Order: sequence, then structure tokens, then C-alpha cells
Amino acid sequence: MALKRGQPTPADHSPGERQEPRDLETLLQTLLDGDPMKRRWAARDLADHPTAAVALATQLQHETDTTVLQIIISSLGCIANDVAVRGLIDCLYLEQALLRNTAIEVLKELPEPVAPHMGQLLQDPDPDVRIFAVNVLESLRHSNVEEWLIGVILKDDHVNVCATALDLLSEVGSPRAREALQALKQRFPEEPYIQFAAELALKRIGVE
Amino acid sequence: MKRILVIDDAATVRLYHREILEQAGFAVTEAINGLEALEKLEADGPFDLYLVDINMPKLDGYGFLKALREKDIPQAPAIMISTESSPRDREAALVAGANLYIIKPIRPEQLLPQVRGLLGEGHPS
Repeated sequence: MALKRGQPTPADHSPGERQEPRDLETLLQTLLDGDPMKRRWAARDLADHPTAAVALATQLQHETDTTVLQIIISSLGCIANDVAVRGLIDCLYLEQALLRNTAIEVLKELPEPVAPHMGQLLQDPDPDVRIFAVNVLESLRHSNVEEWLIGVILKDDHVNVCATALDLLSEVGSPRAREALQALKQRFPEEPYIQFAAELALKRIGVE
Repeated sequence: MKRILVIDDAATVRLYHREILEQAGFAVTEAINGLEALEKLEADGPFDLYLVDINMPKLDGYGFLKALREKDIPQAPAIMISTESSPRDREAALVAGANLYIIKPIRPEQLLPQVRGLLGEGHPS
């Protein structure tokens, strides 16, 4: 849509020209402003304030603007304290795939803060959440990744959770995963994908 | 030979779909996310059918389908494949432009009749 002469342009909203102070108290107030543009600025600047994690995580539950939500998720990732990580984990329960995926991508970059929560996430009653937890493991650089994945394929009774773990295990698995892969094949003998992917994983780790 | 673009961030899933589809006589191209799929679309021209995962980094299945449907190209059929079974996910996929929504795990005998049906080579089961 063409802008009319004299109408504010996007450049007028550039952060460098903001008039509002950027102290914590003002930013927290602005996070609740009616103008999504102002909430966006506040969410971004609050990334520098670890104590703002509670406010950001709370706003996640009420925010309606998708771009503000994405920035809140990004800021929680920058803060990365326990409150922030719990807020990000809450995003795994959201209906909107875009926000869920954004949170997953942020969580992948936080191996140490995420690790204490992984055991509980992998036992969530909702199989979709367990799948998202496995998605987080995809590039989580943590020494327990293979152990978590082996635990999933040994114990989880949902075929799609196991299949997602299997996809990743076929890339990162070591000979330690051999018995678990063979047990998985036996647990799901009628599932062609499990048979295919487990065979592939066994070949890749060299223990056919 | 009909060309199918398989879009999934999991290498094993792409390989599984490739084997099923190639054995059935289709030519398969792979993309690891929606963004790469759009690049393949630009480079290789439109495909006859798209097999699309939902959850992928960079550009997910919904984003890819929206972009695909906004392009001025023949409206080739798209099958969205997901682990998620809620009616809301199915509705979102259809709104984004999917012709069909299939829940994993995929079995060849389930997938191939749907693919052939959408390509006008038979009736979807």
C-alpha cells in the first residue's frame, strides 16, 4: 500500500528516534502499551534485563501480535535464566506452529539451561510436546543427547515420538544405541517407517 | 515422469519417501525446509506434487504452502504430513493450501493411492 504524503513512514518508527526512556520500569510499562510497535521495542530492549523474564513470560500468555510474540521469545532466549527457559518451554504447548518453531529454535541454542527440564519434557503426557522436546535435542550440544534419545526409543509407547527420536539417533547415534535400536524394531514390527529408519541407523553406526 | 518435491528436515524421512515414490515411478527432488523448497521451485520450475512436513526450521510447512499458493504458477497439489493429529492442525494445513493432510507414520499403501489420486492417475483411497 502506498504511503500518503506526510503520513508517518516506517523510518519514523526506527528505534534510534524513540523518545521513551529505556529504563527497566518504563520498558515494563511499554510492554503493555496498546501500540504493538511500542511493545515490540520494549520486548526487544528487555532482553538486556534478566529480571524482566517474569514480565516477558507473562506477556507471552496475553500478547496477540505475532511479531511481538516472536521478539519476546527471542528476548527470553537472550536472558536464558530459569524463568526465561520455563517461558520458552510453555511455548511448546502453543497452537501456533510459527511460535512453537521459533521457541524450539531458541531452546536448541540453550543446552545447559534446557538440560534440567528435558527429562520432564520427554515424559509429558502430550505426545506432541514429547516430539517437540526431541526436536529441541536436534542441535542441542549437550553430552546427554544420545542417552535421552535412547531412553525415548526404549520406553516411549507412541510411534511418532519414537520415529522422531530415531531420525535424530540415526544422525548422532553411536554403537551404544545398538541394542535400543534393535529393541525398537521388535516393539513396532508392523511399522514400515520404524523398520526402515532403524535399519538405516544400525547401518550408519556400523553394527548391522 | 511426474516430479514430486519432498520437503522435510529429517534426512531419514526424505529418504523413506524417496524410496517409496521412486519405486512407484515418480521422480523425486528433496528440500530440507520450506526456504530451500522455494529455491528449488525457482531453480527447477514447478513440480507436479509437493509432500510437505509441518515443523521445519527457517520456513515451516504452513509458510511454504502460503508462499507456493501466492506464486503465479499452476496450482499443483500438496500433501501435508505431520505427527500432529488435532483437528486444528488439519484445518490450519487446509487453510494454508494443502489438498490433503496425512498423519505419520506413513505407510506406502496409504501414501501411494493418495499421490496417484491427486495426480489424476487414479482415485484417492
